[in-house]
Amino acid sequence: MTSLLHTEVKTKWQRRKKWVKNTWMLFKKSKVGVLGLVILAIFFVLALASVIPPKINEMYIPLYGTDPEIMGISPPSLRHPLGTDFMGRDLFSQLLEGAKWALIVGITAATAAVVVGTVVGLVSGYSGGIADTLLQRTADILLTLPGIPIILVIGAALGQVSIWTVVILIALLGWPGPSKVIRAQVLSLRERPFIESATVSGASSKRIIFRHIAPNVLPLSFLYMTFGVTTAILLEAGLSFIGMGDPSTVSWGMMLQWCFTSGNTFNAPYWLLPPGLCITVLALSFYLIGIGTQQIVNPRLRER
Amino acid sequence: MSLAKFVAKRVLEIVVTLFIIATLVFLLFRLMPGDASSVVAAKMTPELKEILRARFGLDKPLWQQYLIYVKNLLHGEFGTSFYWEGDVFDILKARMLPTVLLFTTGTLLAYALGVNLGRIIAWKRGGKLEYGSTLTGLFLRTMPMFWVGLLAVWVFSYRLDLFPVGGMKTPEIWGATVEAGLLTKILDVAYHLFLPLTVYTLAIFAGNMLLMKNSMLETLKEDYITTARAKGLPEKKIRDHHAARNAMLPVVTALSLGMAFSFNGSILTEKVFSWPGLGRTLVEASLSHDYPLAQGAFILLAGVVLVAVLFSDILYAYLDPRIKY
Repeated sequence: MTSLLHTEVKTKWQRRKKWVKNTWMLFKKSKVGVLGLVILAIFFVLALASVIPPKINEMYIPLYGTDPEIMGISPPSLRHPLGTDFMGRDLFSQLLEGAKWALIVGITAATAAVVVGTVVGLVSGYSGGIADTLLQRTADILLTLPGIPIILVIGAALGQVSIWTVVILIALLGWPGPSKVIRAQVLSLRERPFIESATVSGASSKRIIFRHIAPNVLPLSFLYMTFGVTTAILLEAGLSFIGMGDPSTVSWGMMLQWCFTSGNTFNAPYWLLPPGLCITVLALSFYLIGIGTQQIVNPRLRER
Repeated sequence: MSLAKFVAKRVLEIVVTLFIIATLVFLLFRLMPGDASSVVAAKMTPELKEILRARFGLDKPLWQQYLIYVKNLLHGEFGTSFYWEGDVFDILKARMLPTVLLFTTGTLLAYALGVNLGRIIAWKRGGKLEYGSTLTGLFLRTMPMFWVGLLAVWVFSYRLDLFPVGGMKTPEIWGATVEAGLLTKILDVAYHLFLPLTVYTLAIFAGNMLLMKNSMLETLKEDYITTARAKGLPEKKIRDHHAARNAMLPVVTALSLGMAFSFNGSILTEKVFSWPGLGRTLVEASLSHDYPLAQGAFILLAGVVLVAVLFSDILYAYLDPRIKY
């Protein structure tokens, strides 16, 4: 009995390994997808490196550290490779800190949105009825309304926002899109013979949804997560820029807002350019990974 | 279902949606801690506070306050702005047109540009043009629009001094010193509109272009294109009359789905270029805790979005006779 169980576990593991290998083989064919992964890896390293500058000298602490000899805005120098901001804070260490927050905000917000979207899509598509109508109506309203005004009004009512409020609000606005796609997929899966046979064998709805249907929609969820990260990063930057960000978190959007509100937009290109470029390239990398994933999820797009 | 019936149904849906939104906004502000912070500000004079308390029935239970709120909304009464100390609706009335102007011209331009470029790129597929335009499109899609706006102001207004740094009107022309003619006024607004319009259009047209290109590439594989070719029709006719017309449908669908994205963009554009619209008003009112103004701007903005979505739905139903809901 034990040996039987052992072989079963082993084959399952082998199957997974094979699946990973196959998926990677497919993904590798997409040059843009690989390029996206490379860019992402670079930003991941930059984010990890954000812990180094504050250890070298206290003036490199992104939020509080100021250079006692400068105490103001200054162009790039040996001490400060990207210069300093209006308080004499090092812009390069802010940029590294920004990479960390862009990844944290982008990935958590997109993951939360996609998890909620997937569960809603599964439930709504499989059960139908009133639950389906209510969930889809809510999704419709959220899809119609632009996100920035909603977040602004909620933020105004709350008084002040932290970075996690922003993450939650972005996730709250991000689930309807994926939920619609997942729901459509579930509606088509529901009619397939393997679901019918599971129902006939007496599997509960919960088991059918999470054991039989969910694995088939997960690649689609992942696809929407990659695009979701792009949206989340851009949304966070936009919110920070208009002033609805967390002032105690150094994000790229916040850096641009400080540049704008301190009146340095036109005289400090070393301050204005790097954060915007970083947002663009990181957002692009997730978008490219999404395009690569699309070719796995949608076989029609593969080159024959 | 006839088109009129379809429109009537959608209008009803919009009214219900606006009602739900207004209710949520009411709950959001009234349930916050503090003394009905959406109506009375701390810095107001006691007399004004009393008047507002009576008008909004703040001493009454919540459900009665809600009824008063709905009644006030229907009469266009959004309260008194904390900051401007004037009627919210009067303030917002003047901000509505600039938003509609920027948003409508920008969106129409972006779609015209996206569809036409996408059509041409797909037709000349496989070359440098497709590669270059796809790359440009991807960059435009992922660049933060407000940052592009700042760069544009820096280069074209500050360095080259070609355009104004922001705003919609030159005060001298609009009666500050001398009242100018209508044509001068229109040209003045166009001069101020150029840069924000360009940045906004660039930011949203890329998505349409890529979508049109992909849709066109799919359409070109269809049998009826081969048939058209076999008949010996001119290339241009196949491209524009046979392929592009059918390829446009997904782009028109995306028009109503992309409305939310476009509006986010127009708010950021208004902020960067100090454009005196609803979006900038909402941003400033929210940040300065001017609740009545923020609330009013939000509800009006939602109304504008819903009307825009309605128009795109009508366009879709008109273009695709199969849609009969």
